[in-house]
Amino acid sequence: MFFVTYLRRELRRRMRQSVFIMLGLALGVGLVVTVMAVSSGMQQAQGNVLQGLYGIGTDLTVTKSPPPFTASNNNGFRITMTPTGAQVCDNGKCSSGAQTIDNLNGLSYGPLPYSTIAEIAKLGKVQTAGGGLVLTDQQMTVPASVATGGALPTSTSFYVDGVDFTHSTLGPYTDGKVSTGRSFAAGDASSNVAEVDANYAAAHSLEVGSTVTVAKIPFTIIGLITQPQGSQPPDVYIPLARAQALATSQGKKLTGEVNSVYVAAVSAADIPTVQAEINKLLPSATVTSPSSLANEVTGSLANTTRLTKSLGRWLAILVLLTAFAVASLLTIAAVTRRVREFGTLKALGWRSRRVIAQVMGESLVVGVIGGLLGVGVGFAGSAAIEAVAPKLTATVVTATGQHLTSATPSGSTSYDPTITRTVPITMSAPVTLDAILLAVVLAVIGALLAGSIGSWRIARLRPADALARVA
Amino acid sequence: MYELSHVTRNYQKGRRTVSAVRDLTLTIEDGEWLAVQGRTGHGKSTLLHLLGGLDRPSSGSISLNGRDLSNLKENQLVRVRSESFGYVFQTFNLVPTLSAAENVEAALVPMGVRGPERRRRVAAALESVGLADRMRHVPTELSGGQQQRVAIARAIVKEPKVLLADEPTGNLDEETRDDIVNLLEKLWLERGLTVILITHDSSVAKRAQRVGVMKNGNLSILRDSRRAKRREPEPTA
Repeated sequence: MFFVTYLRRELRRRMRQSVFIMLGLALGVGLVVTVMAVSSGMQQAQGNVLQGLYGIGTDLTVTKSPPPFTASNNNGFRITMTPTGAQVCDNGKCSSGAQTIDNLNGLSYGPLPYSTIAEIAKLGKVQTAGGGLVLTDQQMTVPASVATGGALPTSTSFYVDGVDFTHSTLGPYTDGKVSTGRSFAAGDASSNVAEVDANYAAAHSLEVGSTVTVAKIPFTIIGLITQPQGSQPPDVYIPLARAQALATSQGKKLTGEVNSVYVAAVSAADIPTVQAEINKLLPSATVTSPSSLANEVTGSLANTTRLTKSLGRWLAILVLLTAFAVASLLTIAAVTRRVREFGTLKALGWRSRRVIAQVMGESLVVGVIGGLLGVGVGFAGSAAIEAVAPKLTATVVTATGQHLTSATPSGSTSYDPTITRTVPITMSAPVTLDAILLAVVLAVIGALLAGSIGSWRIARLRPADALARVA
Repeated sequence: MYELSHVTRNYQKGRRTVSAVRDLTLTIEDGEWLAVQGRTGHGKSTLLHLLGGLDRPSSGSISLNGRDLSNLKENQLVRVRSESFGYVFQTFNLVPTLSAAENVEAALVPMGVRGPERRRRVAAALESVGLADRMRHVPTELSGGQQQRVAIARAIVKEPKVLLADEPTGNLDEETRDDIVNLLEKLWLERGLTVILITHDSSVAKRAQRVGVMKNGNLSILRDSRRAKRREPEPTA
């Protein structure tokens, strides 16, 4: 009780100084909490974007690169426009003249046998595996010819996911929730039925019961799917068997094939092992995790994430170190002012460690209060950021695998169409329990560090020297 | 009983060595009141610190009841300080944030005296210095004389063998000075304390049994009336 009484009275005596130290620590740890909250929000947003591509629970995806297009081979889908005529070639099979193209293709990835899924699922540390077809439905109206210097025709496209809903619990489809209508049933495996992303449906005035044309085939919409905010979901989901029957890749049907395998490891620690085993099983395949694809997400979300990690983190560290330094200096000053008092206590028979415990106790109280205030500052900071932060965007660019050229006697121009998806992200800055605990721990460490520097002086204090000081 | 044998205390001042106490040999009997006078800077306080275990001699030995203080380990010396010595300082040295009772209590903290016994002894000590009605007052609410009384209560609450007073009346007016000296004399007589008092005030020094003068680190005894009859204490205010 004497300890508490002495501590309380001393903090009250130097209330202004104690409050100053608490506020300094609060500012430092509050900034750390805010930066952590923003960083956590950024990671969550990026995770949502990537999960929209691969689905919740997917640790790894297995794909295969298609053969690259070169002028000397006939791979891929080529459209050549000349003043004398248009030619559309699908892996060497060509047709000429004006036409409307509705091509469902898997040109972004090469095909993998469906049996690959079972082979991967048998590997150690693999909890489950599933597969599907990630496709693009490309629609274009090709005129008979294009005048010299004229613009090449543009295509419209949407993403199609061939869903293995009877076997797989992984992939983009499993992440969504059916908001209207119904989800796929076992009997739909060979039917021309589709689920459509709710945002895509709204943008194209689609609803349950209407039709969406895929590869020139009308599919009846049986349900609308809502995906997590910020994700990059497919626009249309159709049964895998129908996708295999309708889609082509490099001129070949995709019967019995998939082009994406989704893998869930037993635990996060097993991901590298599983990744290595799949690489051994399928040397030509590309095995990626959502985090390794983070570099593909561009836009202001990516920029803000980088800024938070670099500038934000260093700013927080700098402010925190400054708070520690100020706390240390003020504590040393307080100890210096009390040298005579501590010398007297030592003369009364107080051991150094008892005097030190008193000083450390005062520092601990200041640190805990500073930490709790810092948590409050952190909450206020993250709330302010959520309130005033501008909307961010995440952009993912995907190749379609198509190649357009316009050839003339004097030369040619060409481009490879890509699909750019830009998703608005509402900024969030959630304060996590980890951040709160870290805030309090940092503040306490800072205060104890300051107290220990003062305590070092006390430990070396000789009573005779202390008492000789002029009050 | 104190036995000082060839005690020297030197300090380094740059390249110079300053002897605050030079080759002092002295015996102080149990229950004796020794006053040490002298001008500032001649080693009075250094001698007091050596006698109170607050400092160690550069050479020589200081024994208290056969125990050589100069050779004790630090934790042993701290224990002796907590049990055997009571200190009174010129500037009172009370903890400004603690009340009179809490300041007195601070002396019992290292002795491990628990709650009810602690409160009883604190109350008794303040009663003996006439401040039972000022227990809850903090030093800023007490006069100089009252603060010094609290300091004396703090010194005697642990029932020490030795009371060491460094200019206890230095900051007090004449009337209060006399009150404090009377109080010290009363406690000396009642409790059989060994009192070693530093002062530059002759009127205070003359109350002691033995009076010495420190000059340039050397102690000379001016008067020794230890064998004379102990007189009754003068009445306190």
